[in-house]
Amino acid sequence: MQDAIDRACGVVDFAELHWTRERTLSVGYGDGHLQSIVDNDLSSVALRVIDKGRLGSTFGLRPDEPSLVEQAVRAASYGDKATFSFAGAAEAPRVDHYHEEVAHFTAEDLVRLCDAVRDAVRRVRPDVALHVHASAATTRRTVRTTLGANMDDRSTSLVLAFGAPIRGVGVSVNRSLGAVGSFAAPLDLVAEFDTWYAWTENASTPRTGRMPVIFAPEASFLYLLPLWAGLAGNAIEKKTSPVTERMGETILSPRLTLRDDALRAGDPASRPFDDEGVPCQRRTLVESGVLRGLLLDLRSAAALGLASTGNGIKRELFTAGTEIQPNPWAVNWIVEPGDSSLEAMIAELDEGLLVTGGIGFHSGNYSQGAFSVQAVGFHVRAGRVIGRLDRTMLSGNIYTDFLRVRSLSREARRAYTSMLSAGGGCAPYVLVDSLQVAGV
Amino acid sequence: MKELLGRAVAGLAVDYVDIRHEENRRIRIAFRGRRLSDIAEYSNSGSHVRVYDRGGKATASVSDPDRLHAAARSAAAAARLVGSRRERPLRLAPRVGASGSFPVRTPNDVRRLSLSEKLALVSHYNDQILRDPTVVDTEADYDEFVSRRTLVTSEGQAVEYELVNVTIYGLIITKQEGVVQRVRFAFGGCEDGARLLGREEDLAQLTAIAHDLPLAEPARAGTLPVILDPSEAGLFIHEAFGHLSEADGLQNNPGFRARLKLGVTLGGPILNVTDDATLPALPGSYEVDDEGSSARKTRLISDGRLTGRLHSRETATEFGEPPSGNMRAVDAHFTPLVRMSNIFIEPHGAALDDMVASIDHGYYLCGAKGGQTTGDQFTFGATWGYRIEGGRIGPLVRDINMSGELFSTLAAISMVGNDLSFAERGGCGKGGPQQLNRKSGKGAPHIKIDRVTVGGV
Repeated sequence: MQDAIDRACGVVDFAELHWTRERTLSVGYGDGHLQSIVDNDLSSVALRVIDKGRLGSTFGLRPDEPSLVEQAVRAASYGDKATFSFAGAAEAPRVDHYHEEVAHFTAEDLVRLCDAVRDAVRRVRPDVALHVHASAATTRRTVRTTLGANMDDRSTSLVLAFGAPIRGVGVSVNRSLGAVGSFAAPLDLVAEFDTWYAWTENASTPRTGRMPVIFAPEASFLYLLPLWAGLAGNAIEKKTSPVTERMGETILSPRLTLRDDALRAGDPASRPFDDEGVPCQRRTLVESGVLRGLLLDLRSAAALGLASTGNGIKRELFTAGTEIQPNPWAVNWIVEPGDSSLEAMIAELDEGLLVTGGIGFHSGNYSQGAFSVQAVGFHVRAGRVIGRLDRTMLSGNIYTDFLRVRSLSREARRAYTSMLSAGGGCAPYVLVDSLQVAGV
Repeated sequence: MKELLGRAVAGLAVDYVDIRHEENRRIRIAFRGRRLSDIAEYSNSGSHVRVYDRGGKATASVSDPDRLHAAARSAAAAARLVGSRRERPLRLAPRVGASGSFPVRTPNDVRRLSLSEKLALVSHYNDQILRDPTVVDTEADYDEFVSRRTLVTSEGQAVEYELVNVTIYGLIITKQEGVVQRVRFAFGGCEDGARLLGREEDLAQLTAIAHDLPLAEPARAGTLPVILDPSEAGLFIHEAFGHLSEADGLQNNPGFRARLKLGVTLGGPILNVTDDATLPALPGSYEVDDEGSSARKTRLISDGRLTGRLHSRETATEFGEPPSGNMRAVDAHFTPLVRMSNIFIEPHGAALDDMVASIDHGYYLCGAKGGQTTGDQFTFGATWGYRIEGGRIGPLVRDINMSGELFSTLAAISMVGNDLSFAERGGCGKGGPQQLNRKSGKGAPHIKIDRVTVGGV
C-alpha cells in the first residue's frame, strides 16, 4: 500500500502522517436492564505537510487516499510559515498496554461483566435505578514522517462504569474502573458505591465562607486541568501562564509532587509516543511544590528554544481525536500519595467538604489557575459525613489555595473525567486547608 | 448510495433497521494571536446502522463501506442478544417523516466563497481585535461543516438531507495588571453566510468589554437576585431545563421521571419555553432528524406548566407521548441521541429598566460562558456582569459562575423581558462517548431570577 508519506516524498518539504484504527465494543444497561450494544470499527488519518516552508494539514479515513497530499499542499499554500519541523527517527520506549484477551472480548463477555456488577450492587442496594456501561477497545496508532519517524503501537482498554441516581434528585453516584487487561467485577468499588450512596440520603448545605476541602481522586481534574493549562508551552510562550518564568520556584504546597508518567505499565492512558511521533517519557512536573517541568509539543518547544517533551496530544478540553491539531497536554498524570487516610482527614474536620466532582468546570477562568464549580460530594461536620452537598459552590485558585495542603492519603487511584475529554490520571485524596464555599 | 444502503437493509431479516450514510466536508481556519495555526479543507464519510429486533437494540458505525454488510449482520445478532435479556421490549413509535430530498437552500450560501476569501474574512476580524493594546492573545476560528446524509429504513423510507453550519468564533484575551480575562465572540452559526459579514461594530463592543474586564472587581460569593441577558438566559434554559426535557435522560430514572410528568407546574404563568427546529437560519434548525422524522415545534412549558417533551421514536413509545423529531447524531461515528434543536424562552413584556429597578443588591450578568447539567443540578458561567445596588447598574464584575437546582430556580423566575434573541453559536455535549453538537440553538429575552447561588471570592 502506498500511503501519503510515500506519495509526499519529493513533493513537499516534509510530511507527517497520523493514522488511528479503533474497534470499540460496548454495552449499556439502564435501570438494571441491558439496553443496547454498540460496535464501532473506525479509521481516521491526519496529514500535515510543510511545503515551500509553509504548514498545511488535511484529514481523511485511510492513509492511501490519493487526494490527501494534494489537499494538504493546497492548505499549505495559504498556511503560515512553519516554525518547527516534524519528528525524526527515534526509538519508542516499550509500554505494556496490549492484552490479547481484551482484544478478543465479545458482547457476551461484556454482558457477563455487567451482570456481575449489577448483581453485586443489587445485593446491597436492590432498589436503585442502576446504570452500567462497559466497553472493550483495541486501538492501533501509527505516526510516520518523511524525516524517518516510524512509530506503531497497539493497545487495549477495558472500561467499566456504573452508578445510580439519588432518589428523586437526578444526580447520580458513579464509580468507574479502567485497565488494559481483563478484570472481574470490582467488589471494592461496589462497597464504596454503597457507602457513598448511604451518605446521599440527607441533603446538606454548608455555610458561606472559607473551609477545608478534601478532593477525592475523581475530583483531581478540578485542580490539575488548571495546572496543565499553566504548564502548556503555548501559554508560557505567550506569557499568559501564571507560572511564566517561574521554573525552580515554589508554585504549590511542598506536600505536592506531580508527575506525567506516559510509560506506566498496565495503564490505559499510557503510550510510547505522542501524536507527533515523539517518544513519551516519565517526567516530574512539580517536585515538593517546586516547578520542575513544562508540557511541550513540537511547535511550542521550538518557540521556546527547547525540545518537545512528547506531550503533543490531539486533545482539547471537550474533544479528542484525529481531527484535533496536537496541543501540549499531560498524558497520564500522577499525584504522589502521602501517609494519611480519608478516614483521618474526615475525622479532623470541624466543618468542610469531601468533593467527588464539580459541575461547570469549563465556565471558570481555568487557564489562570481558577476554578468555580457547583461542588458534588459530601458535607462534613464534627468529624463525620452528614449528607450530600446541596446548592454549594466551590471556588479557588490553585496558585494561592493549593500552597496550603494539609495532607494526602496513602490510597491513590485512577480517575476519569466524565464530561471533559481531558484524559485521566492517578491521585490520592488531597486535603486543602481553606477554600471559598458559597452555601447558605 | 440509496440503492447500496437499500440492499444492505433488505438483506437483514429484523423488525427494523436503518442505515445512515454521511459524506461530510469541513473547512477550518484558525488564528492564535498573529499566527495562522490551522488551515484545512477536507472530507470524510461513514455509515451508521441501527437495528431493533425482538425487543432489543444494537448499533454499529463503520468507516469502510466494505464493512457495512458485516456490521449490519453483527448488529442484528447483538440486537437479538439485548432483546433476549429484556423483560420490557424496546419498540419504535410509528414514523412521522416522508421520503424525499431536503437540501439546504439559502440566498447567501457561504460555500460560494473561495478559501482565500474566507481566510481574509477571519483574518480581518482577528486583526481588528489585535489592535487593542491590552490584547495578549486571540483565538479566531472559521468553521464550515457541510453534511450530506442519506437514510434508508426497512419501512421503505429513503431520505436525503443536508446540514450546513458556518461560524466565525473565538476569544479576545486581554491582560492588565497581571490579570488575564477572556471574552467570547461568535457570528453565524447557521447556513446564512450574510451573518458573517459586517460584524465589526459587534466585535468592537466585545473588545471594549475585554479591554476593561481585567480591572473589574471579582464577583462575591453568595445567594442573591440576578438579571440574565439574552445569551445568559438562553444558556440557562438550555442547561437547567432543556436537558431534562430530553426523554432519553429520564428513560431509566423512574424517580425523576415521576417528578416531571406532563402537567406539573414548574414556574409562574410568565414562563413559556419552546423547542423549534423549523425556525429559519438558527444553529439548531433542520428539516429531518437522524431517524427520518420531520422537524417540528414542541411547546415544552406553557404558562408555567410542563406541556411537552423531546423524543425519539423509541422514547415516544415508552412515554406514550408523540415523537418530536429530535433524534440527532453529530456524525456517522455516533448513534443519534435525543437533542434540543432551538430551545428558547418566549418573550413576555418586562423592560430591562424595570428589572434593574426592582433589585436592591444583585448582579446583571452577560455573555454566556458555557454550562453543565447533572440531573436537576446545573451550573453556568457569565463572561462579565455588573453589580446592581439600589436599583441602579454599578461597576463591572468578572469571574462569575452560578449554580442552582432546576425546580426552585424555574419557580424563582419573576420577570421575563420582551427582547428575544438567539445565540449565534451552538455547542452542547451529551452522551458517552461525548457528542459535541454544534447544531444546537438557544435563545431568550432578558429574565430576572430572584435567587441564584453565585460562586466567587
